[in-house]
Amino acid sequence: MSDLTIPERAFLSLKWLGLQEARQGNREPLARAVIGVLVVATLAIMLASLATGPIAVPVLELLPHVPAYFLSALEGAPEGVTLRDWIVVMEIRLPRVVLGALVGAALAVSGAVMQGLFRNPLADPGIIGVSAGAGFGAALFIVLGNAALAPLMALFGIYAVPLAAFAGGLITTLLLYRIGTRSGITSVATLLLAGIALGALTGAMTGLLVYVADDQQLRDLQFWGLGSLAGSNWDKVLSAAPIILAMLLGVPFLSRGLNALTLGEAAAAHVGIRVQRLKNISILLVAAATGASVAVSGGIGFVGIVVPHLLRLTMGPDHRYLLPASALLGACLLIAADTLARTIVAPAEMPIGIITAFAGAPFFLWILLRRRGLTGL
Amino acid sequence: MTVRKRNHICSLTAALALTAAAMLAPSRPILAEPARGQDASRVVAIGGSVTEIVFALGEQDRLIARDTTSTYPAQAAALPDVGYIRALSPEGVLSVDPDLILMLDGSGPQETVDVLKKSGIAIAGVPEDFSSAGIVHKVRTVGEALGVSDKAEPLALKLEADLAAARSEAEGQAAGTRVLFILSTKGGRILASGSGTAADGILKLAGATNAVADFTGYKQLSDEAILSAAPDVVLMMDRGGDHGAGAEELFSHPALAQTPAGKNKRLIKMGGQYLLGFGPRTAEAIRDLAQQLAAIRS
Amino acid sequence: MLHQSITAAVSTSALVVDRVGVAAGKVPIVRDLSFRAEAGRMLAIIGPSGSGKTTLLRAMTGEVSYSGSVVLAGYEVRGLGPEALATLRGVLPQASQISFPLNVSEVVGLGLTGERRGRRHRHLRIAEALARVGLTGFESRVYQDLSGGEQQRVQLARVLCQVWEPLPLDGPPRWLFLDEPVSSLDIRHQVQIMRLAQDYARRGGGVIAVMHDLNLTAAFADEVLVMRGGERLAFGQREEVITAKLLSEAYDFPLEILKREGARSVIVPAGGEEAPGP
Repeated sequence: MSDLTIPERAFLSLKWLGLQEARQGNREPLARAVIGVLVVATLAIMLASLATGPIAVPVLELLPHVPAYFLSALEGAPEGVTLRDWIVVMEIRLPRVVLGALVGAALAVSGAVMQGLFRNPLADPGIIGVSAGAGFGAALFIVLGNAALAPLMALFGIYAVPLAAFAGGLITTLLLYRIGTRSGITSVATLLLAGIALGALTGAMTGLLVYVADDQQLRDLQFWGLGSLAGSNWDKVLSAAPIILAMLLGVPFLSRGLNALTLGEAAAAHVGIRVQRLKNISILLVAAATGASVAVSGGIGFVGIVVPHLLRLTMGPDHRYLLPASALLGACLLIAADTLARTIVAPAEMPIGIITAFAGAPFFLWILLRRRGLTGL
Repeated sequence: MTVRKRNHICSLTAALALTAAAMLAPSRPILAEPARGQDASRVVAIGGSVTEIVFALGEQDRLIARDTTSTYPAQAAALPDVGYIRALSPEGVLSVDPDLILMLDGSGPQETVDVLKKSGIAIAGVPEDFSSAGIVHKVRTVGEALGVSDKAEPLALKLEADLAAARSEAEGQAAGTRVLFILSTKGGRILASGSGTAADGILKLAGATNAVADFTGYKQLSDEAILSAAPDVVLMMDRGGDHGAGAEELFSHPALAQTPAGKNKRLIKMGGQYLLGFGPRTAEAIRDLAQQLAAIRS
Repeated sequence: MLHQSITAAVSTSALVVDRVGVAAGKVPIVRDLSFRAEAGRMLAIIGPSGSGKTTLLRAMTGEVSYSGSVVLAGYEVRGLGPEALATLRGVLPQASQISFPLNVSEVVGLGLTGERRGRRHRHLRIAEALARVGLTGFESRVYQDLSGGEQQRVQLARVLCQVWEPLPLDGPPRWLFLDEPVSSLDIRHQVQIMRLAQDYARRGGGVIAVMHDLNLTAAFADEVLVMRGGERLAFGQREEVITAKLLSEAYDFPLEILKREGARSVIVPAGGEEAPGP
């Protein structure tokens, strides 16, 4: 490489990035390059987040010992590492980074799938009622957990609220699905409208709970609503990971169908896609993954809209690349936002939903304004 | 089988394998030898009353940090703050490198407490009970945790006697006065303290009657509830604002205005930690409150 | 997966519609309709609005359920799944809106959704399809920015990609279904697309087009099916069916066919210089 001139080197690197081919209409090499970059970025951000915090910990020295910890071969801190440093990384920061990655990936991919299914770049996972239902489920247990629902609370302990959120999300989605599906055919338009109605209903019911809540419960509700990764531990990772991983691994199979769906449902069927099955699986996976995410981290918004849209502008709308890239970028962004959340007002912690909203809302507006000629949605 | 089916099976297997790996992973705690805290020289105090007790025992030199509610005495406020008692960040607490944490009941969240327990640092829980016996017990507990039971015992006995005296003095002065303790009036909603709260406890000690003892905890009161409570006096925490303006604003609330307290504009404001802390200053707070109640009734 | 109900007399190169009916709830839209089309020829379906032309097309493409029988390439359409149907026939819709900024190459590539071939072949096929419709060099253009005519040609390229070989070596002839394919185009592009469809038929494929324009029909179709009120009014060779009498009856409107010396006949409303009366 050293004997090439500078313009030649630039040309080669551009070619490697796939930009040249993209200009000729083929965006696949570019998409692959973006994914490669994102993989590196995700790992880098995870490391950076592990190394950030009020306590300075030599993260790189600790890392080699991590696999031994998971294989239960390690008791206490490894040699040469203080217990405090070990605890900070293994019990505080690492579960938080892992959870942030899982939740960020889940929300971003869910957003991409919903946008593909509804053929609208402004759709987000909340559109199928998951977030509203999960919020209501959590509110129910936060407020009534000491009174009417005390026995259930005692049964599930600290898992009560997350379970309630997950269940609430799934039930709402199921309800919405039933309303929108007739004779085996789901109308996305009906889903959208019914989602609005159902969202209003759960909002009202949650409002009722807010009204009877006491001070402490109100504060809990508010923090839950804004979303937070504080208090992440391995138990939470364990409860959310299987569902989210299953979704992330299953979703690539929807790529072909979602791509074809761009032409419209009729044309997608003509081209060979089983459209109703695509809808069923998409909705199920998104509801499960979003429900699990919301259950462990509260309501974090905008990740589902911002990430896929950003990527679509960069690497094109091919879902075979968009979905994995969304997972990676979602993980990156959420970890970055979380790192910010816990350093910006240290020692207190800002709820992460505030940061994603602050970053996401202006971006959302920018999308709206930028749409071609401001013509209809 | 087709390529697609094989891909399906591969990913499902991968998902299951990862899940299995995660399940084998640590739910078991990191083992650590719990240190003995009695000789600790780097102590973190969580809870206003706990901090006050440490100072009262003369052990403040061993303190290196405190929580947000520990504002008395002034030297305590000068120490680094590791966060609000109910929203502690584990890293924040660990960052000051303590060897003993004195934790008042109600510290949280639970996840933080769990992590701190795993860290091997000695943790002494200090129980909270809104009574004079509770205060005495706190002193003994903190004293034992710090290894200074010989100093704690005389302090405990002294406080016990002082509290008993304050109680009997207050008995005559404030007997039967119906007091409504209002936590906040934000958004026009009156949040009051029922039974089982710190406010309820201090009212009992001062010999007054809690106007809304028929529920536990903090609840928002409806207009009717306020009217049927019919308090003679309203008691609130002093958050640094000036006293006069508070009464005008407060009693402009339509329901409150109709109560005996409202008709006579009877409002008492006292410092939060002082009044409700249930620590070394409580005897003084009882006398103070009883005097103010007596004065306001005449 | 494939339910075969091949009637003895039918070869796999025909499309046989037998007593087909389609109803929306209780209301019949297509009634008791039968005909037979052969690959290698273009069949145009004409008739006034509301005569059920598009509904019939949708029954034949497997989009709506029907009573009776539609046999395509030897299989009952009702019994075939989307993947199987996609290997046998392509459908060109009237117009296509796309909600994401795909470029032309990506839209055409969607026709290859059912394909298992490698990347190299994909791009070759896309390039060839674009060449067929006269859009070479348009690969990186954004679909949403194109004119109606260009968009329709891109869609045709996509459909051609899907059913590339009208007469494959290892299967029955393939079919092209067109739903009012040129309604929103200017005359130059109308002719261009009709020529492409005709070419597909000439190369051995079956072509069925629901048509609005009578003159284009007269110019390109080999056979014509005339519908009225959901029923078959007439079916046969173009010369037999395109008569003033039959067309006037079908459209309930006086039409006449003007013959010109050495040039194509033209179908116009009947009457003189003034505006046509009822």
